[in-house]
Amino acid sequence: MRALQVQHNVRRFGAARLLSVTSPKASARIAPVHLRNVDDPPEPAGLGWSKVTTRLAGICGSDLALIDGHASTYFEDFVSFPLIPGHEIIGELESGQRVVIEPVLGHAARGSVPPWESAAPADGDDYAHLVRGHLKPGIQTGFCCSTGGGWAPWFWAHESQLHPVPDDMSDETAVLVEPLAGSVHAALIATQHTNHHLTDTESPIIAVLGAGTMGLGAIAAVRGALPNARIIAGARYPHQMRFAKGLGADVVAPGDELSRAVRRMSGAHRIGASLSSGAHATINAVGDSASIALSINITRPRGAAVVLGMPGDTKLDLTPLWHREVALLGAYTYGTEHIDGADVRTFDLALALAERIDAERLLSATYRLDEHVEALAHAASAGRRGAVKIAFDLREDH
Amino acid sequence: MRSKRHITKRAQQFAGRAEQTIRSVAKPLAKYGFPWRAPTVPRGIEVPEKPDTLGSNFETDWARRPLASVARSAFIAGPLKLMTAVIARPEVHGLDRLADLSRLDDSPPLIFAPDHHSHLDTIVMIRAIPPAWRQDLVVAAAADYFFDKRWKATFSALALNAIPIDREATGRQSADLFKELIDDGRSLLIYPEGGRSPDGWAQPFKGGAAYLSAKTGVAVVPVHIEGTGAIFGKGMKRPRPGRTRVIFGAPLTSFEDENTRRYNARIESAVGRLTEESVSDYWTAARKASTGSADRLSGPETASWRRKWMLTDRRRREVSGRNSRPERDWPNLGPRSR
Amino acid sequence: MPRPGFVLDVDRSTPPMLFWHGEKFSLERLPADRSRVIYPAESFPGLEDPQSAIRDALENPLDMEPLRALLHADMKLTICFDDASLSLPKMRRPDSRQRIIEAVLDLAAEAGVDDVHIIAALGLHRRMHDYELRHVLGDRIFDAFAPNGTLYQHDAEDPENLAVLGETDHGEVLEINRRVAESDLVVYANVNQVAMDGGWKSLVTGVASYRCLSYHHNPESLQNTRSLMDRHHSALHHSIWRLGKVLRDSGPKVFQIESTINTDAFPSPFDFLSKREWEWTARDRMTYLATAKTLDRMPRRAARKIFHGIEAPYAMTGVYAGFTESVHERTLEDVYRQHIVEVEGQTDILTLGVPFISPYNPESIMNPILVMCMGLGYMFNMYRNKPLVREGGVIIMTHPTYRDFHPVHHPSYIDFFDEVLADTTDPAVMSEKWEKRYAEDEWYRHLYRTGNAYHGVHPFYAWYWGAHGQQWAGKVIIVGGDPTAVRRMGFTPASTMDDAFELASDVVGRSPSITHLHVPSVLVADVK
Repeated sequence: MRALQVQHNVRRFGAARLLSVTSPKASARIAPVHLRNVDDPPEPAGLGWSKVTTRLAGICGSDLALIDGHASTYFEDFVSFPLIPGHEIIGELESGQRVVIEPVLGHAARGSVPPWESAAPADGDDYAHLVRGHLKPGIQTGFCCSTGGGWAPWFWAHESQLHPVPDDMSDETAVLVEPLAGSVHAALIATQHTNHHLTDTESPIIAVLGAGTMGLGAIAAVRGALPNARIIAGARYPHQMRFAKGLGADVVAPGDELSRAVRRMSGAHRIGASLSSGAHATINAVGDSASIALSINITRPRGAAVVLGMPGDTKLDLTPLWHREVALLGAYTYGTEHIDGADVRTFDLALALAERIDAERLLSATYRLDEHVEALAHAASAGRRGAVKIAFDLREDH
Repeated sequence: MRSKRHITKRAQQFAGRAEQTIRSVAKPLAKYGFPWRAPTVPRGIEVPEKPDTLGSNFETDWARRPLASVARSAFIAGPLKLMTAVIARPEVHGLDRLADLSRLDDSPPLIFAPDHHSHLDTIVMIRAIPPAWRQDLVVAAAADYFFDKRWKATFSALALNAIPIDREATGRQSADLFKELIDDGRSLLIYPEGGRSPDGWAQPFKGGAAYLSAKTGVAVVPVHIEGTGAIFGKGMKRPRPGRTRVIFGAPLTSFEDENTRRYNARIESAVGRLTEESVSDYWTAARKASTGSADRLSGPETASWRRKWMLTDRRRREVSGRNSRPERDWPNLGPRSR
Repeated sequence: MPRPGFVLDVDRSTPPMLFWHGEKFSLERLPADRSRVIYPAESFPGLEDPQSAIRDALENPLDMEPLRALLHADMKLTICFDDASLSLPKMRRPDSRQRIIEAVLDLAAEAGVDDVHIIAALGLHRRMHDYELRHVLGDRIFDAFAPNGTLYQHDAEDPENLAVLGETDHGEVLEINRRVAESDLVVYANVNQVAMDGGWKSLVTGVASYRCLSYHHNPESLQNTRSLMDRHHSALHHSIWRLGKVLRDSGPKVFQIESTINTDAFPSPFDFLSKREWEWTARDRMTYLATAKTLDRMPRRAARKIFHGIEAPYAMTGVYAGFTESVHERTLEDVYRQHIVEVEGQTDILTLGVPFISPYNPESIMNPILVMCMGLGYMFNMYRNKPLVREGGVIIMTHPTYRDFHPVHHPSYIDFFDEVLADTTDPAVMSEKWEKRYAEDEWYRHLYRTGNAYHGVHPFYAWYWGAHGQQWAGKVIIVGGDPTAVRRMGFTPASTMDDAFELASDVVGRSPSITHLHVPSVLVADVK
């Protein structure tokens, strides 16, 4: 089959990283990602595998980070090359059933014993299974050479990864379910952390930094989970501001005005770079050093700063973290959420959220696989070019 | 000792710093958008595809013009010869089976059908094929490997006289082209397997060579190439020089009442017999073939470890086995994947 | 297959848009999400064999006998043709008119016709230079007819050679060239570059007198011409068609030949001008940068020389012959098929890049009046149904609008600018107060008849041409225009496009919708 394949080529990764500064297109061109004839991956061992025909497959920030050499070496042992990326997928089973993929290759997929019965793929507190079992190492579909990924006409998926899509949901909406699930997960971490600190009459302040797909999703998810929350969103581009407002942010400010916006809302003092109080929780959907430092400084002491965007190698002054006793929390993917004593799969929440916010409007453009240079360049400069999510369209009639 | 991981980490940190530097240096460049840079495409606009001139659409006629032919002869006689000698050290057997034909004033075109282990096969074959056919030899090469970049495509066409064939699509168009070329008196090198062997055993032959032979009446020469898989097999990053052996079989033509499928099977078993001949001897191979006890060319249909195990045994008897590697006691499990 | 025209909604991925700026061009970024750009269709392929298409049209005319049957030895045959105002830029040789007239002359020679006159139907335009006649007609025709005085140019101020043919029910008197009026057969060779051209307009304006032209070339009818490109809603064309009826009933027999051309206006290396910006190759971008930078630094005169030297690789896309009205209907269909782009709704601001050329300055200078005429007259009128800009909206044009005039071609324009525009910019007032004086000025008349000057009244006509646009727009801004010249014309100068949008906000608010008419290449917006 003809698929986009990423090879482990350190020099090209490096060149792509350096070029990404000036020209996303040149970066995508030099990166070790090529459309080529790939041998069909054999069916992985174990039970429950099925072929999924890709319909739409999104381009995620982590895909870009991998391709243009920004990804941390931390992941080196958790991925296996040569890989076919793509984990935001709406596909179709041989039966014709449309499914979204929960990409984490968890216990069930790898033939290990799940941490508890009916655990989601990403659940559990031991990641050893990610490098063991039937499959080559790989945290998710799209990072594992045994299963393939979404930037290909088809790939292998385990039954534990499949979530049927309602018939009335469009492909364009469904392709956003995976990123939205990440947002929901982060939003729930943030809101759960918030609840400990609130008096009965107080409505929590939650700041969301970054208004890409994940950030916008987080705004919507917070609004859903805490209707009375006061949400401040940091967004840079006009269309992001519009979306942020539309999805439930009370105040939208550019990044450099965010600190003042949080101060005004919380009525805090400003002491140097930090606020005396601040937001009850912040969700950082950017991931770079400056924004994480800002998150910590605008989170009130003993609040929580949730890092949702993939951070990479960052440089941070941790004194404020230590002094403010802010909890810096990672929010990687999704799994099982505990809401009001009940267990819910994050993906089910995300499916509902996608429906509710008409997520289709966040999908800005689709490309064919052979246009991948344009697609990756567009995704890399999505904000500047007025876009949110870019995806590959592999449907035949499109 | 510094681990590789440490070095990668360092390299990444260095790249990070370089990136920061470039970012600050390149800041003034940001205001130079279009037309200094390539334009971006507005949403919803379909840019018409430029006709793809690479891959299977690559035009190779120019490579068969006189000037290009002369250049190719020089290349084959010089650099290619040297390269083959250094990397592959081929020994060629069975040329006597073609001697009668090559001594004719006007040698008839032939279709050479070797098994396929490596991209090196083409180079080795070009050197091994007798001069009578070498000059007019056309190579059927994978469009997605030999013709994916302009420089590669130009090189392949010029130096190897390669013609792109699309492995994915059904090749009516390329079949017509090949027929035309054969009618022109050119010989053809085609790999009936359609791709390199993934594990050392051959893959089932596709009917292309048989079809062309039956259609044009040109004979097929079965060929066995040995050792290239160990030098530059599938999945290897760079070649490891070693020995190779090329054995030509007797030319075959299609029988009158034979369909393409059976003819194809006959070609496949002829190549299988040459393989056997290579690891044992002509007589054993002949006997095994006549009693039907010959190994299938594509190996036994058993568990994968046994296929590899049997291959190991065979490898030891092959030329590549003579590449001394005394420190290794392990079974040879095919080319190392990294 | 050429791609059809379309409306592009500008988003943040949209590259800056090409604007003509006189003899320069610029790339302007339009505000995302509220701007749209109307792109013309790609140029249609030309006829494979225009020569035989012409012959075929002459043998099989519409609603008329074949030309061959209309020709006989002892007849008076007059051939009229469009002047240098068509095509823009001039097409490379051979010109369509040469092809057509040669085909007609071949038949006339076969029939043994001796009395043949060839007349340039230039109305009140300037007389063509000999080299222009050679370019349009080819050397063969010029050398055969010019020396003995049977190839000449119409003179609307020669009382001896004008004849009255009749009067319409609106009291319009048809007064045309005497030779034309007294011919047994008049053949007219057209180049229909836009939908305004052709039909009865060819003869009724091309060989008419000033008196006859003033019935429709006046402020009132041009303000009611909605638009010039839609003859069924044009007061100008209605009047012309009435006069055409008089010509048909009591004039000579007219054999009309209309030919259409495609929109392939620019040869390499300027061909990128007709491409869509996101399809510019690296070479196109380099060419753009090189030419744009060079033109910026080049003296205006030199730049003008380069641009007026361009010969367009236009190709003939169709040719019809026969009865004027039948022919014109077919031609219009063809022209519309190439030009029409459907557009949804009007807009607050219309942006127009005004080029170096208008129909009234071939090989000449685009003076301020012609900038107005080109922008508000021609480009604004590139619509059907309703204008692209809403009533009271803003029109932003880009042109340097320098106060340069060609002293030989446009003598009356200079005085018009100095005297008339200083007094009024209102077409009705100037028509009342000044038009007659300019029309009857002896010096202008002399220059028109013997030199290469436009008629004394022509600057008024050029101004009236924009009367509808001027009346319709709430404000007209010229970006990069010479402030005094722009103000003199009653418009607002702006230094940059952003400034222009700021100035426009007085009229249309802070976030107006914007439509840009992407030229080069002609289009007619069919506004729903």
